[in-house]
Order: sequence, then structure tokens, then C-alpha cells
Amino acid sequence: MARAARASAIRFEDRTFAGTLGELPWGLVLMLITVACIGTAALYSSTFTNPEEAGLPARHAVRFAISLGILFVIALVPIGIWLRAAWPAYFVTLAMLIGVELFGLTRGGATRWLQLGPIGVQPSEFMKLALTLALARYYHNNLTFQSGRFFIHLPALFIIIVPAALIFKQPDFGTTLALIASGAVLIFLAGLYYRIIAAVAIAGIASAWPIYMFVLQDYQRERVNTFLAQLTGQSVNALDDGYQIEQAKIAIGSGGWQGRGFMEGTQAQLDYIPEQHTDFILTVIAEEFGFLGATGLLLLWAAILAWGLVIAGRSNSLFGRFAAVGCVATVAFFILFNVAMVLGLVPVVGVPLPLVSYGGTVMFTTMACFGILLSVHLGRDERLSTQGMI
Amino acid sequence: MSSELDFESRLNRRTIITGAAGGVMFSGLVARLVQLQLFEGERYKEIANENGVKLDLAPPVRGAIYDRFGVPLASHRQAGRVSIVREQTADMDATLAEIARHIDLPMDERQRVIQQARSQASFQSTIVKSELTYEEFARMTLLAADMPGVRADMAATRSYPRGRDLAHVLGYVAKASSDDLARLTENASPEEASLLARLFRHPDMRTGRSGIERAAETWLRGEPGFRRLETNAAGRVIRELESEDLAPTPGRDIGLTIDAELQRAAIDRFGDESGAAVVLDIETGAILAFVSTPAFDPNDFVNGISYADYNALRENDRSPLYHKAYDGTYPPGSTFKMVVATAALEAGINPDQRVHCNGYYRFGNRTWHCWKRGGHGNVDMHWAMKGSCDVYFYEIARRVGVEHLADVSRRFGFGQVWDLGLTGGRGGTVPDDAWKRAALGEPWYEGETLNYGIGQGYLSTSPLQLALMSARIAAKGRLIEPFIIGEGPRPDKPIPYAEPLDPDHMQRMMDGMYGVTSEAGGTAWRSGDLGLGGPRLAGKTGTAQVRRISEAERRSGVLKGEEIARRLRDHALFVAYAPADDPKYAISVVVEHGEGGSSTAAPVARDILATAIKRDSRAAARWQQTASAPRTGNSGGTP
Repeated sequence: MARAARASAIRFEDRTFAGTLGELPWGLVLMLITVACIGTAALYSSTFTNPEEAGLPARHAVRFAISLGILFVIALVPIGIWLRAAWPAYFVTLAMLIGVELFGLTRGGATRWLQLGPIGVQPSEFMKLALTLALARYYHNNLTFQSGRFFIHLPALFIIIVPAALIFKQPDFGTTLALIASGAVLIFLAGLYYRIIAAVAIAGIASAWPIYMFVLQDYQRERVNTFLAQLTGQSVNALDDGYQIEQAKIAIGSGGWQGRGFMEGTQAQLDYIPEQHTDFILTVIAEEFGFLGATGLLLLWAAILAWGLVIAGRSNSLFGRFAAVGCVATVAFFILFNVAMVLGLVPVVGVPLPLVSYGGTVMFTTMACFGILLSVHLGRDERLSTQGMI
Repeated sequence: MSSELDFESRLNRRTIITGAAGGVMFSGLVARLVQLQLFEGERYKEIANENGVKLDLAPPVRGAIYDRFGVPLASHRQAGRVSIVREQTADMDATLAEIARHIDLPMDERQRVIQQARSQASFQSTIVKSELTYEEFARMTLLAADMPGVRADMAATRSYPRGRDLAHVLGYVAKASSDDLARLTENASPEEASLLARLFRHPDMRTGRSGIERAAETWLRGEPGFRRLETNAAGRVIRELESEDLAPTPGRDIGLTIDAELQRAAIDRFGDESGAAVVLDIETGAILAFVSTPAFDPNDFVNGISYADYNALRENDRSPLYHKAYDGTYPPGSTFKMVVATAALEAGINPDQRVHCNGYYRFGNRTWHCWKRGGHGNVDMHWAMKGSCDVYFYEIARRVGVEHLADVSRRFGFGQVWDLGLTGGRGGTVPDDAWKRAALGEPWYEGETLNYGIGQGYLSTSPLQLALMSARIAAKGRLIEPFIIGEGPRPDKPIPYAEPLDPDHMQRMMDGMYGVTSEAGGTAWRSGDLGLGGPRLAGKTGTAQVRRISEAERRSGVLKGEEIARRLRDHALFVAYAPADDPKYAISVVVEHGEGGSSTAAPVARDILATAIKRDSRAAARWQQTASAPRTGNSGGTP
């Protein structure tokens, strides 16, 4: 029995600090550092020709270093504390989301920021982590071996829907999708019946047409049309919405097997792709390092995420397992959606590539997720009470 | 059925399924990468290579114009300039003000730049200032790096190294206006027209506005090519790619018959006087000097002349814009007497027959005066020519009649526009009965034939025609035709007037002209010696009346020149050839308001002819020697 084999494992409180550090999955951390280095190099290449962006790669590296520190702090916090903090974190973040709705700051057409004293915060980012913890906590308390029932999942759905709706209204479509996706993974993990999953899938497909016809705005419909057109290989007007994705495809395709060489990609060096240092950074890697480079990065990420699932599987507590899977799902969603978007497989929604795209928020969120994951790893043998504060 | 074990294994199963689903999605992405990079990679690589390349119309280098010895008259010079692209500047006015702090850029120039920039697409560049001094260029090159939208570069500028010397012959180039464009595309197909319109929008492109520059526009222009420019997505040029196959075809060069040094010497000889001179090679008809002075500097027009400067040129009473040698027509005065004498010989009048001149000639109830008060006494044709006796010519003109005079005039080349392949050209007037009826609605009166006899009245001739007349005389009646383009687009000549002039008659004319400059009693006997220790010139003086001499004035004594305002003074004319014993050069000189042909025009003609002989101006031209030899490039000149 696995459970019996782990009985001898050391409880968290009994470890020395050095012993704790020694227990960390350093290979995983090393892979994260590798990804961040690839991102910094790609940023260096993509911003090289623009003097105004000269400082970006360095700032990216510094942010990674800071968030690596945050990762260790989160990792070293005992898993039991995260369990107890789950509900407060969720509700405080939810309150902040409502606060955004009431008196948030509007930047670039979206109301996402809340001014707290001297700093502006983006509660929707916190919600990614808070939702995962809250769902993990919910299932930790309520999922028993008897309950394969449907009704047990309704509160979980509610836990997801409320913040998702608030964030959708900001509007922040990417984050909304991220919440729903990672929430859905956790509901699936909790054992939702396949027939219900099938029913939801059929309903979703059936509602696609009415949503397209009656819910979407004209400009959104246009975007979907463009997306479908390029997906089916039709040439899209280079100056329209299709421009970015067309140029991205040219960049990726022209990379070929080995790429055109570092700093040698014409698409990247001549600024053909909008957002090439943020959401479309993969185009730089694919163009300059080719199929080998792009696939290598994807495999690296796949290995990191698989490691995350292994950590989840080894967790002795439901909270640990759900929190780990939730964190993996959140990061995986970003990677899968970003890459699919850059490759022209899904419509363009602003979703960055974690640790590679330039941008502070996604970096901190990602590293916080891995912090929780490591915390789960360190506390894998903790027997967590279903009781706790709240 | 449910047990803790089942629960545990279901969790594990679902974890694994989650992972597997993620793995499938990752595989899907890799498959897409395989499709894009491995299967379609080559195609996308091609697209990427062409993506950043913009084809920019490249203006051809305009053909150069040389004199007969290969001296560049119109060529190219590299000059520094500053240009500005409106859309790349944050604030045009501020940027221009900043530029003006470093280089001389007056306020009205700044206004012009702003106006021009606003009148074209915001991504097109506008030249702020061309012809920068070396210091200005160095300064602007440094500054431009920190001023978005501002560029300092070198550009080929049309340049006229000899300045004013050949202004009227060469004409000048300027930026094509909409009128120019309409003219240039008149007979073009729509495709050609749009290409030309694009081409002439290029800031370096110029079009000929006058002279050969305009008449030989298509010859000189060349064919535009393309430059392959690597641009970024914003259209900003990163670098130029090598692409010789797309290079523009340079325009063709033109070699003129002009001897630039002779031209310069002739202009210098005129000094402050205004006037015209034409030197012809008697053997070929090649124009060796084509002087109209004062002149404008065509270099001033290349980058746009200011309104004030242009107005000053227009309002100058010596008409520097006017091509006096080609467009100017003057009454030939006494220089016409060879034509009248030739007509008389053809009419069978005995040249030895004497006419008595007592200073005036009566016909009908009017009196015609000889220039010499008191008269010449009994004169035959030779004496009448060298003494320029008006009475003799009144008499023979009346006897020959207007129609024959007109006919002989035309055979000397008068009354006809000589198309040299440059803009302008006037034929003057050879009047006859038909002309007068058409122009004035009146029949010809015989009294008018008397004025005809001394080259006055309705008759008007250009300096080119006068030079041609003396050339045809000196060539013993051969119907020489003038030309100025030795190598290049020579105009189609009209069929020349068929009936040649009698060599014996021409010999008499030459004798008469020799008498003028070299025999006692000749009106210009002081000007006969060329000062070369031997060769002499033969010529004929003339005075073109600018105002009518009233009877009252004549009675009280004709006023001396100094007493009359300059603009009312007579024009001084002289036609000649040299050397007198072996004619090589023919010349005509008009000194506007110069008063006396012998006192003003003849010395000028003498010195020009002496220079021509000394220089051997009619020596074989470069294009005659090396018609098939490779030409050197036409980008000569100094920066």
C-alpha cells in the first residue's frame, strides 16, 4: 500500500530547514529557470532593434528572480496554512473583484485595477490562485468516497461562476477562460459523471451557433470569421484582423527545422508581428530556433506540468491533490491557449506564454502556482483535517 | 460498490486522464508546428523573405550635356540636403524651428516646407533644404540621429558647371508641377502616365522646363528602375538590398557643337552690354557660340527659385530670361544689304552701274535719307556696300521689287524658324504683299520696298539668321543649315529651300564685306584686323532703329545717343566671317542699344572671331572622334 509505505515519512514540523530545502524538487526549479532563460533570450532578440525596449530582457530576468523568491516563500509555508487560508483568500479576492466593479480603475478600455493605497492591484490575477485553493478546499471538505453525486458539484460551479462572471464583465476574456478551464478540470477530477460531461459538451456545441448569431458583437463576429477563414487556409486581408496571425504563421513557418538563427529572423527583427515580445513571443522562438527550438520549449513545459501532476498524484490529502492539479491546470491553460492562438488554432485572445512573454503579472501568478505545487510536494504526507478556520 | 479504494483509484484515474488530455493537446500543438514549419516551411520562408522588401521607384540619372570638347555643361553634383517625413515627426513646426537653430533656414522657407509637406502623403519626405554647405551637412548628419523624421543625406543634384554661360541653350530643370506632368503625359498610355506621375513625385526627380533640358526631356530622362528596400512593418527603411537587375537606366548624354570656352570669351567680351552673338562653323553649320547676355543662372532653378529672385529676373530691363540670339528678332538694318545686292544681281542689275547719292532719295512725294548727310556721291555696288550707302539700296530695292527681295531673303534663311532641338526659336518676318495683306489687311506700297532695301520696316530677323546669312555668303552660296546638337536627339529638318545662291554673286558679297572692314571708305575699316598678325575678317555693319526719327527732329539735327535714354537708342549690328581669305567662321553680333554697328558691335565680333581662330573652335568635336568609344559616366563634378 502506498499509504503504508509513506507512514514513515517525516512530518513537516519535524524537518530541519536545510532538510526541507533538500526535499524540494530542484529539477523542476531548474526547468523553470531554463524556461525563463529562453524567454529572456527571445525577448532580447525581439526587442533588439527597438531602442525604446532595450531594458525589457533585463527587467524580465529581474522579475523572474523576484518571483523565484516568492515561489520559495510560498513553497515553505506549510500546506496546512494554505488549507486554512483558502476560504479567506477566496472571499477577500471576491470582495476585491466587486470593489473593482464599483470603483475600479479603467486602463485601456478594461476595468481591472483597484487602487489600494500606493499600489494598483489586479484582483483577477489573485483569483486564479484563490479559486484553485477554494475549490481544493471545497472538495477536500465535501468529497467523500460515497459522493459521486451530481449535486456536490453545484456549489463548486457556483464558486467558479461568480468570479468568472465578474471578470468577464471587466472585460478580461482570457482570465475568464482560464478560471473556467482550471475550474472545469477540478470538477472533472472530483468525478463528475461522464454522461453529464457529454451532455455539457453537446449543449456547448449546440449553443455555439446561437451565441455566434445573437450574443456576439459585430467586431467579435468579425474576429471569429477571420479566425475560421485563416484556419481553413483562406488568405485573409493582411491589413485586417488577420494581419497578426498571418504574420505569425509566416514567422513560425519560415523557421523550418532549425530556424534562421538567433537574431536572424526577419519577421522578428523587422517588427512584423504586433505583441511579439508579449503574447506572440513564441513566433520569435519558432522563427529563430525553428521546429527544434519551439518543440523543445513545448516539451520542457510538458515535462514541468507532468512533474506537477506527479506531485498531485503523490499528495496524501485531497486538498493537496486538488490544489496541485488546479495549479498545473492554470499554467497549462496559459501555455496551451497561448501556443494554440499563436499557431492560429484558436482565436486571438490576450493570453501570454508563462515565463517567456514579457509581463509581470503572469510571471508572478505562474510562480505562485508553482510555489503552491512545491508546498504540496513538501506536505504530501500531511494528514489534513477537514476542519479548519471557516 | 463504492469503497475508499475505488475512490482513491478513481482520483488517480482522473488525474491520469487529465494529464493524458493535456498530452494530447500538446501533441496537437506539435503537430501544428510540424505542419507549419516542416511541411510549409519553404513556402513561408519565401513569403518572409519578400515580406520586408519594398520596391521603391528609383529615379534614373539624367543624361549629361557636354560641349564639343567634352566639357560638362549640365551634369550632376552630389550635394548634402535635409529632408523631413511628416508622419515621423511629433511636431513639424517645432522640428523645423530646431533645424533652423543649426542651419540657415528663413521663416518663409519653413512655411514653404510645411505647405509642401501638408500637400503630400504624410509618409513622403519633403526636402527642407538642399545644397547644404559642408559644415551644415556635417552638423545636420549629427543632429538628424536624434530628431525623428529628419534625415540628412547626399543626393545627386542637376548642376550647370558653367553657370549662366549657356543658360538659354540648356534651359533648366525643376520639380515637375501639375502643368508639367499634364504636358509630359499628354500622349502617354494610362499605365505610362501613372508611372510618370509616380516617378515625378520622387523628391530627386526633375523635368526640363526650357531649352534642351525640356526639348530633349525623353532623351535625357532615362528609364526609372526600382530599389529593393528592406523595411520593417512600419515602413521604415532598414537597408537597401543589392539588385542590379532593377537599376534605373540612365538618360542618354548630349554633345553640343558649342565650344564652351569660346562661349565664355564671347560673354566676357560683351561686358555689361546686353545683346546676342552667334558663331557658326561655315563648313558644317555647327553653332560654336550661342550667346544671349545677360543671362540667368540655371542652377538657381533646380531646387526652386524664390518668387523675389524670379521677379527680379523678369523685371530686369535687359531681359535675362529672354534668349536674344534665338527668340529675339531685330530689324537687320544695313546688314541686310547683301541680300538686297544679291537680289539685284539675280535681277540682272549691273553691279558696276553707279547711283548718285546726295544724302537723300525722293520717291513719290516723300523723302528717304541716307545715313551720311551730304551723300556718298556716285557709288557702284561695291562702294555702296562698304560705305553702306542707303540711297543706292533704295534705288536697287525699288528696281528689284518686294517679291524678289522676299524670295532671296528666304533663301538666305530668313523668315524661317530653325529648329535646333531647344525650346523657343522665332522666324522673324520676311514681308511681302501676301504677308502684308494677311497681317495688316493692306496691299504692299512701293515706298515700303525702299525701307526693305536698308533692312528696316516690317522686316525682322534673329541673330541666328544673320549669322546663317553670313555663313551662306562665305560658303559661296551653299545652303548651310545651323545645328547645335552634335550627338543627341537632332530635330527633323524641314526640306531646305531648294534654290541655292549663285557662287559668283556670293563672291561679290564677300568682296563687299571685305571692303567694309579692310578698304578705305569701309564703315568698319578699323575692325578688319583680327590682331593675329595676318588673318582679317570681312563683315558688314548695321544699325537697327528702335524709334522713328521724326521730321522735326531731323531738321533740328538728330540727337546724339548720349542724349537719349538707353532704351530708345538704336541696336548695333555686325555680321562677319573670318579669315577673310579662307572663311571658317561666320558671326553675327547684336549689341542692344549699342548705337553704331561699327563702333560697338564690330569690335565685339572681331574679338570673338579672333578667339575662335586662336582656339581652333571648329576642331573635330569629341563625338566625331570617338563615336564608338565608351563614354565615361555622367556623374562628374565635385561635391
